[in-house]
Amino acid sequence: MSGLRHTLHVLALAARNGFLDYSVTFTWKTWLSGWYLRVLAQVVFFALMGRLLGSTEQVHYLLLGNAVMLAALGSLFAVAGTTWERRAGTLPLLVASPSSPVVVFVGRSTWALVDGFLSSLGALFVVAPLFDLGLPWPRALLIPLLVALVGASAYALGTFLGGLVLRAMSTRNVVANVAWTTILAIGGVNVPVDFYPRPVEWFAHALPLTHGLQAIRDLVGGAPLATLLPNVALELAVGTAWLALALLTFDRLAEGGRRDGSIEFGG
Amino acid sequence: MPDAVEVEDVTRVFEPRKKKDERVVALDEVSLTIPEGEIHGLLGPNGAGKTTLVKILSTVLLPTSGRARVCGHDVVEETKAVRPLIGIVFGGERGLYWRLTGRQNLEYWGALYRLPPAAVRERTRTLLERVGLADRADQRVEQYSRGMKQRLHLARGLIGDAKVLFLDEPTTGMDPIAGREFRTLIGELKGEGRTILLATHDMVEAETVCDRVTLIDRGKIIATESPRSLGHVISRFQRVDVEGAPEPVLGRIAALEGVSAVTRTEDGGARIEVSEEGATAEVLRRLVDAGVTSVRTSLPSLEEVYVQLIGERGLEV
Repeated sequence: MSGLRHTLHVLALAARNGFLDYSVTFTWKTWLSGWYLRVLAQVVFFALMGRLLGSTEQVHYLLLGNAVMLAALGSLFAVAGTTWERRAGTLPLLVASPSSPVVVFVGRSTWALVDGFLSSLGALFVVAPLFDLGLPWPRALLIPLLVALVGASAYALGTFLGGLVLRAMSTRNVVANVAWTTILAIGGVNVPVDFYPRPVEWFAHALPLTHGLQAIRDLVGGAPLATLLPNVALELAVGTAWLALALLTFDRLAEGGRRDGSIEFGG
Repeated sequence: MPDAVEVEDVTRVFEPRKKKDERVVALDEVSLTIPEGEIHGLLGPNGAGKTTLVKILSTVLLPTSGRARVCGHDVVEETKAVRPLIGIVFGGERGLYWRLTGRQNLEYWGALYRLPPAAVRERTRTLLERVGLADRADQRVEQYSRGMKQRLHLARGLIGDAKVLFLDEPTTGMDPIAGREFRTLIGELKGEGRTILLATHDMVEAETVCDRVTLIDRGKIIATESPRSLGHVISRFQRVDVEGAPEPVLGRIAALEGVSAVTRTEDGGARIEVSEEGATAEVLRRLVDAGVTSVRTSLPSLEEVYVQLIGERGLEV
């Protein structure tokens, strides 16, 4: 089997494994009545904040930003993905297997990517009409693609952070929370990126979501499609860069556990 | 042909991660050679260094110093060559994906061992039959009993057709029958020419399946012998079982130098425990002089050797 086919095969099996784990947390019914209602309420809450500010523009800005943010938020659950292997006691077996652990980890958390994608689109398409945010058809059909791009970009960051967390499991929730809070704060979700001092703005441009969200705002705002391309390309570049960083560092970080003895049998 | 496992002066020190922790020397210049096809037992109490050695050999831990090779490949420098050759099986219920079925677990690990899908399916089917899980193959692992999980562990360790298997206390928590079945499986693996390093507390297990055993304590190897000849290592600890020995004779023997105990057995006989080199000959002479002819000497069992060499601390396990 060629290297690429092998990698895709392992990715698919790892993804199935992750979805089966996730199916213990949620069924369709509990996802809809629990998680989905929660994210709807979250987006409605921020849209109402806009209404409180007395500006339709603010309503739509906050609604769109928080709906797309859900894609990034969901994907960042991948940070904790490494923890599950340790809990299952499979981490030493993965490290000692002939395959690269990063392939398994990339595949294992794809449920988070799908979860974020569905949450984001589900919130956007349901809440937008409630607050008179008109989605331009058929251009709006591009929104799922852009949301997927944002989710994938955040997933790459989540995988990179998952590698770091592998060395300090107790920090997994802190790291994930700091990551999504930072994106939420400076990525243009609630406040325009250029509101912040220049260094913070630069940092925001290196984060997932920032460019993809701007592309979605431009799309919904009626900008010509060609003008979206720079932001789409930048979002793609940011995601690729985080993925490359994850691939470069992950195995090395996992191997670091060989030095400090943190890879326990059965634990 | 290189030995299956070669360990040369391997030391592993765990430096303290927190101020309150202490520096731990888990292995102290350990050397060991296991020829191809041997089942080698690694015996020792908790904290002796068994798992540390298995972890180093299975490439999940680096030694602080020394060298270790599996099938001639260095476990530090040549992990890519070592990993396809080894299988790891540890005890307990971890190390499996509980939401997957037994079959899915094996297929998953088969893919990780880079086997083509068709080969994975065939090997999975064969292994499930072999470990007696064919009828439960499509049931989720969370519904398996402990013994079934352990058999699946073994199948997982074999999915890559490992030349060398590292079994770290694989029968922990198994009931006696499941343990016996498991040992039978291990015996079959030897017949296929696989090399097995079995880290265990279980003396019966070691005595039953191992060609040789290494006693390890506090990171140091105490002895490496076959289970039977290990008794010779402490040959001074012999015992003499007698029948029909008069009480006065036993009393005089008990007073001899080198005789540590004389106890009556339930069948009316007596057991004389000897703890010094040469004392056995004197005991036998006294018994024969007294006309006692039903006499049998024996070496201690592996468990007795273990206790003698490692001490009562070993019984903590």
